Amino acid sequence: MSGAAPAKVVFTTGFARRYTGGEREFAVTATSLRGVIKEMDRLFPGLGATLEEETTVAIDGALHEVGYFQALRPGAEVFFIPRIEGG
Amino acid sequence: MDDQVNVTAARKAFKWVGTRPVRPDGVPKVTGRAMYGADMHMPGALVGKVLRSPHAHARVLSIDTSRAAALPGVRAVITAADFPEQTFEYIGPERVAVNFWHVTRNIMAREKVLYEGHAVAAVAATSDSVAAAALALIDVQYEVLPHVIDVDAAMAEDAPLLFDDMITRGVEPAPSRPSNISKRLEFKIGDLDAGFAAADEIIEHEFKTATVHQAYIEPHACSARFEADGQGEVWSSSQGHFTVRALTAKLLNMPVGDLRVHPAEIGGGFGGKTVVYLEPVAAMLSKKSGFPVRLAMSREEVFRASGPTSGSSMWVKIGVTKDGKITAADGVFKFQAGAFPGSPVMNACLCAFAPYDIANARTVGYDVVCNRPKAAAYRAPGSPISAFAVESVLDMLAKKIGMDPLELRLKNACRIGTPTIFGPKHAHNGYAETLQVLLDHPAYKTKLGPNQGRGVASGYWFNGGGESSATMQVNADGTVLVATGSPDIGGSRASMAIMAAETLGVDYNQVRAIVADTGSVGYTHVTGGSRVTFATGTAVVDATKTVIKDLCRRAAMIWDVDPEGVVWEDGYAKPAGSNVGEFKPLSLKEIAAKAAQTGGPITASASLTAGGQAPGFSTQFCDVEVDPETGKVTILRYVAAQDVGRAIHPAYVEGQIQGGVVQGIGWALNEEYIYNSKGQLDNPGFLDYRCPVASDLPMIEAVLVEVPNPAHPYGAKGVGEVNICPPMAAIANAIENAIGRRLTELPMSPPKVLAAIEAGA
Repeated sequence: MSGAAPAKVVFTTGFARRYTGGEREFAVTATSLRGVIKEMDRLFPGLGATLEEETTVAIDGALHEVGYFQALRPGAEVFFIPRIEGG
Repeated sequence: MDDQVNVTAARKAFKWVGTRPVRPDGVPKVTGRAMYGADMHMPGALVGKVLRSPHAHARVLSIDTSRAAALPGVRAVITAADFPEQTFEYIGPERVAVNFWHVTRNIMAREKVLYEGHAVAAVAATSDSVAAAALALIDVQYEVLPHVIDVDAAMAEDAPLLFDDMITRGVEPAPSRPSNISKRLEFKIGDLDAGFAAADEIIEHEFKTATVHQAYIEPHACSARFEADGQGEVWSSSQGHFTVRALTAKLLNMPVGDLRVHPAEIGGGFGGKTVVYLEPVAAMLSKKSGFPVRLAMSREEVFRASGPTSGSSMWVKIGVTKDGKITAADGVFKFQAGAFPGSPVMNACLCAFAPYDIANARTVGYDVVCNRPKAAAYRAPGSPISAFAVESVLDMLAKKIGMDPLELRLKNACRIGTPTIFGPKHAHNGYAETLQVLLDHPAYKTKLGPNQGRGVASGYWFNGGGESSATMQVNADGTVLVATGSPDIGGSRASMAIMAAETLGVDYNQVRAIVADTGSVGYTHVTGGSRVTFATGTAVVDATKTVIKDLCRRAAMIWDVDPEGVVWEDGYAKPAGSNVGEFKPLSLKEIAAKAAQTGGPITASASLTAGGQAPGFSTQFCDVEVDPETGKVTILRYVAAQDVGRAIHPAYVEGQIQGGVVQGIGWALNEEYIYNSKGQLDNPGFLDYRCPVASDLPMIEAVLVEVPNPAHPYGAKGVGEVNICPPMAAIANAIENAIGRRLTELPMSPPKVLAAIEAGA
């Protein structure tokens, strides 16, 4: 991983405030979404479960349900937004 | 987006994708043999009925069921006391933030009734008449409380409180006093002040929309059978039998594995059948009585007690330059949640300005409880409501700067890389294409007559992905069965069969698609969010590819060659090259006939969490004529363009678009919940709740714009929802064009239109 540009990780709303104290943007070095979740949970214990259960993720703009398997390119933009449900 | 180019180029090679074969569920439906929720009649089944509150808001002082229980023929009487209490916590997605403390109280009232029609007790009896008589013998003592129906009134300082301890979430510091505001949300991007300072023209306006029901033709209905060993089965009409299983098991405090749910045919859902009302009640009645129990809502019960979508009160402000560039946009959206928190206001905030490239924007949302039935999802939940306000203001701005309303939208259309208010950049095109196709439409420039007007509007919806499963079985004669866990609401069985046939290279009529119960296929999320063709379709293609690999392996066994020496083309196993040997291609039927000798039955399953769904964009224009004497609005022409990615079965896609538009027309012109002074619904039936019928409508022209999604094997995007976003504003804009008066409150029924005409006279 050394030398790879970190992913830009952003929480769209304040859903993570109780963990991060309001901080919403992070630089995380990871090759998959699992790596991002693990790192966020290491920094803010309990946040990982919240991200897994309560959010939808946009990776470089494309929406996904949160899954460990999603790969990240170096410098990827990762936005966690409250999960969207349709009708 | 090279992948998109590849998908487009591949279209010419499609044999079944994009065709319109006969629907597999057509004959049972037109002959009346299809089994809907109410059609299950099990031997010995009891009739269930629910006692509902006559009051909009009241404290439940006592419930005496003894006389009902003593009535001959009554086998069980239940109240909320029969259901386990649930913990007060918001679990899962923030938008739907399921709080089972609320859910169990919506299923059966406990301390209070919170809307007219709220269930308070239920009976199971040997006949309909005995059940009805038993309901009349249940004595409920109420303390009637002041009620509140309107969202603005519910937000007032002195409003009657539905919950004495509800503190608004999303506000810091937390308010010190309770209110009916469950939650506040805010999304923003850029610098609003600077954006509005750069505008040449600014328009702001307030809007209101009425509560409307999904108005599915089939009322909620189910049957349940609970066995002495604690296991149960449910048959019901829903948009997701796995969700019915999960919710029912939770509400009865039983393991998910002890409950099996069978999907019935569904006569419409539109989001309203993604939740449960009757299933836990029927299951509890069955558990208590020891007999199967059948429960079905009347039409009145559907209106009074099942989720409509939110009514709203909104304010929107947008600024533009003289040449039509939007510089800033701001909006406040206040949504009725009904009796329990959970309106789709977050979606309204996210979608409101999503089609546009706006550097400076903000949306604020309020989720507000009031004494109405709990809101449920309805087609692109939340987005049509905010679109009504935003698209109306855009029309006013276009008129003010003298610009064609489609050109204004095109100038500001989002494209790949455009930032959104919720953070990520758009990853897909499709919006500008819908605008351009209408600009080029021959009817867009046609001349209008007296009292006639033309209006345009657009809409955005995310579309969905998520968990889906599919199983494929190859029968001994080479026919194929595809089983999925997605209830078929919009023709998904046909679409699944098409994608399987296309991938397998066989005739569509060789493939039968079914909807399997929770015990017969892997977990599949609801048929909602326009996710099925995308997510479940991908699972079907994945399962098909696994079958093809197996077929090649079996062909290699038959030919006694290496599996790598076999390829699958057009429904046949063929030697990969001349070096493999000279073999006559083997058909699916020929390989299937050798299944036993080559390893047993040919089956494959696939499960996935689908991601990379592309959003839906819709742009529509309509021509209306307004009767100046009555205010009645007649739709003369309606053209709806939508980016559908790739239409797997175009007739079904057109049907989705037409259906969404028609529901939007009803929302725009007539549909509304009308309450009396006691908070009781005055129009719980189709005579007084006026949905459009065929004679009210012109042919809705659906224009399919295909910008394929590379994340789907055939480029499909969700098509079921975004079509309902534009109609309300398109019609309001057309009415304004016809009569020169702006209507800002739905429905735009004849009295309101007439009043607007007379106010301007």
